[in-house]
Amino acid sequence: MPETKKMPYQKGFGKPVAIIGESSHDNDPFFIEKLEKAKKRLANVTFPIEIKK
Amino acid sequence: MNLERYPYYATNDAQEYTFYSEGPRGSIKKIVKFVKVRDNPTVYNLGFGDEDPLTGMIDDLAITDNKDRDRILATVATTINEFCDHYGNHYIYAEGNTPAKTRLYQMSIGRMLNEIKPNFEVYGFREDVLEHFQLNVNYEAFLVKRKEK
Repeated sequence: MPETKKMPYQKGFGKPVAIIGESSHDNDPFFIEKLEKAKKRLANVTFPIEIKK
Repeated sequence: MNLERYPYYATNDAQEYTFYSEGPRGSIKKIVKFVKVRDNPTVYNLGFGDEDPLTGMIDDLAITDNKDRDRILATVATTINEFCDHYGNHYIYAEGNTPAKTRLYQMSIGRMLNEIKPNFEVYGFREDVLEHFQLNVNYEAFLVKRKEK
């Protein structure tokens, strides 16, 4: 990957420095567990009726 | 958004992003990954963590504080914006690995709310009910949605 450690901070939204190919974390247990937690919390939420203003 | 952020990388499918947090604890590789949770409406989960340099896996027990929490959040917001450029303005769900981390995210969101709100709707889950994000309220998780231009 191109070296970013010496790159100055940027401001605002911007494009990626580089595209680095495929994900290497598709089977990471961390993301799998996070997904399952999200599914449970969102299972019974109805959009947008339950969004209180 | 006019906040300082880190430069970042993206995968081909624009669903995973990498950047390096720099500070007193050195250079820490951060991973942001978006995975679809549901349809009708479409919601993606935002997973975020430190990559272990030895295993390449996400280390969810790592306690790192590079004194750059707001810069990290601004970088994550940028990845959300980039993701939405590719996949559309869908809901993005995020929850900390622990209640303490969720609270840290909440504090950062609160500090940066005026910068975030022009571009995103921000909601919080409180007792499993969604509401528009308010300051000084403890939330269990968050939902953001980029506004239509």
